[in-house]
Amino acid sequence: MSRPASIATRLTLLFALVSSVVLLALGGLVVSALERHFRQQDIDLLEGKILLIRALVGQAGSDAALPALAGPLHDAFVGHHDLTVRVARADGHLIFANAPLTVPEAAHQPIEWRSGGHHFRALSTTIASDTPARAPVEVTVAIDINHHTAFIDRFSATLGVFILAAALVSALLGGWAVRRGLAPLRLMKARAAAVTATRLDERLPVDAVPPELAELASELNRMLARLEDAFRRLSDFSSDLAHELRTPISNLITETQVALLHTRDAAAYRDTLASNAEEFERLGRMISDMLFLAKADHGLILPSREAIRLEDEVTDMFDFYDALAEAGHIALHARGGAQLHGDRLMLRRALSNLLSNALRHTPPGGRVDVRIEHAAAGVTLTVSNTGATIDPARLPHLFERFYRADTARSHSEHEGAGLGLAITRAIVAAHQGHIDVESAAGVTRFRLHFPAPAGG
Amino acid sequence: MKVLIVEDETKTGDYLRQGLREAGYTADLARNGVDGLHLAMTGDHDLLILDVMLPGLDGWQILDALRRAHKDVPVLFLTARDAVEDRVKGLELGADDYLVKPFAFSELLARVRTVLRRGRSGAEPTTLRLADLELDLLRRRATRGGKRIDLTAKEFALLELLLRRHGEVLPRSLIASQVWDMNFDSDTNVIEVAMRRLRSKIDDPFDTRLVHTVRGMGYVLEAPDAA
Repeated sequence: MSRPASIATRLTLLFALVSSVVLLALGGLVVSALERHFRQQDIDLLEGKILLIRALVGQAGSDAALPALAGPLHDAFVGHHDLTVRVARADGHLIFANAPLTVPEAAHQPIEWRSGGHHFRALSTTIASDTPARAPVEVTVAIDINHHTAFIDRFSATLGVFILAAALVSALLGGWAVRRGLAPLRLMKARAAAVTATRLDERLPVDAVPPELAELASELNRMLARLEDAFRRLSDFSSDLAHELRTPISNLITETQVALLHTRDAAAYRDTLASNAEEFERLGRMISDMLFLAKADHGLILPSREAIRLEDEVTDMFDFYDALAEAGHIALHARGGAQLHGDRLMLRRALSNLLSNALRHTPPGGRVDVRIEHAAAGVTLTVSNTGATIDPARLPHLFERFYRADTARSHSEHEGAGLGLAITRAIVAAHQGHIDVESAAGVTRFRLHFPAPAGG
Repeated sequence: MKVLIVEDETKTGDYLRQGLREAGYTADLARNGVDGLHLAMTGDHDLLILDVMLPGLDGWQILDALRRAHKDVPVLFLTARDAVEDRVKGLELGADDYLVKPFAFSELLARVRTVLRRGRSGAEPTTLRLADLELDLLRRRATRGGKRIDLTAKEFALLELLLRRHGEVLPRSLIASQVWDMNFDSDTNVIEVAMRRLRSKIDDPFDTRLVHTVRGMGYVLEAPDAA
């Protein structure tokens, strides 16, 4: 596919074309009006002459008086070089002719023809007789209209030159106007050129461009905002990862090197190695969680879909967390039920993360409640636990990677890397769902909402 | 039992060989695909551990060549890539299992044993025994030293797993997956609490301990004289 011509070129050409067509049409109109005018003028003149001849012929009372008309006719037409007159009896007998005249055969009046480099226009008529003594007389008057046609030809040629010049001028003016008109585009281009990876906050001027471009500019701005967001998340991701890896790796290096400083007994070495192994496993888990999130960020999660009874999965999860809840004197309760289309493994993982999180933050004697509601709008699953109310300012951050509600970052043995809720949110999003959290009056409540499939 | 490891990463290869040898296997190591395929075709290995990304021939090509030659030795894939398509491709080619790096050695060992046990059919025992501990699978009853022990369904399943694979160190992730069907990284704290509760029933009232924690690895059920 070839590249289309520039907008400026196309608009300029279009401009020239439109003005040429308009001027040509106007010129044509003027020329034809002129022709009509000349023709009417000629016919008026010819009719006047015929009227004159008719008056002269009317004076002749008999055929015998007709030849005598030649004199007055000659007098009447002397000096009219452009006029040719022929007066004859109906039987063909010529009465008067001031020049040889051959009128082509024509059915309609008036007639026009060209002969010997001249244009003629003629009118013929038959003057009837009111007495039987005189035969009817045929009259033909022709006029040489060369001066008219020559004028029209000259006029047309001049007009053509003018139209050509006007088209050229309007093309030039059009080109200039187009360039001026497209100036906002160049402004946008200059701004767009300023957008780089390090300056993604640059935006196109929506207010400074005409309304036609404002829409495009704001759409492009929205695209830039999405890109900026994705780019920021990507760079946050890398720095989070580096940051989160630094501490455990530094611990491992220190621990290993301290162990190597002195000769120790086998038990001490075993201790060091076991502690290292635990740390390594945690690192491994963190890396796979990060990978999972990275894939989720790119929308690569394609859950295999099957019908899942949520209450069954909750029962399974309770089975798993039962021992932990009992050890912490926490009561587990489940209520309601609903069916959902989704990926079983992923939904279990989301549920498991929520329960693990809830149990971790419930003090002894508290309770964790799971409620499943089925409505026309969709399925809602709520996991709530008793415990300290979370500062509302922190709530929106709970789903961020590596965010821990307790800023003291007490790396307890089993605390996750702070990715559980981020993974849960990613899984819910992969199911077109939505997750939010509220915390008030000593109850923290995570709400998962899965809208009913459209049209189903 | 002879195991062939095909792994180009020097350290990984060395440690895998050492670990498997110390676990009682005869382990050979090839460091590229071509040598790996040659050894696999000429040797009489009971199991192949194949890295997917290899110089020369990759793991899939080796497996493909083996299956074409009608060598149906079990194959366990190791890979650093965790894409569903990769997993499906490996399993379609006839791999027996699939482990994503980084993995715990105890996890690999457990999978190796599972693969090797597969196909060795025998009459399923109805009673599992270790020392004075007895598990009646039909009547769902556990006794130790003749004394009846009350177990919940999950505790029974957990003890059954430990007994079936006694002497093997079972990583927490394997236990979570086998007993609770938690096939993803879950709260390992749960496994610890569950093990503690199981111990309080089958170990605490008795003189000798059967359930042992191997730090950094997992749990093992072992009779004292076997240790």
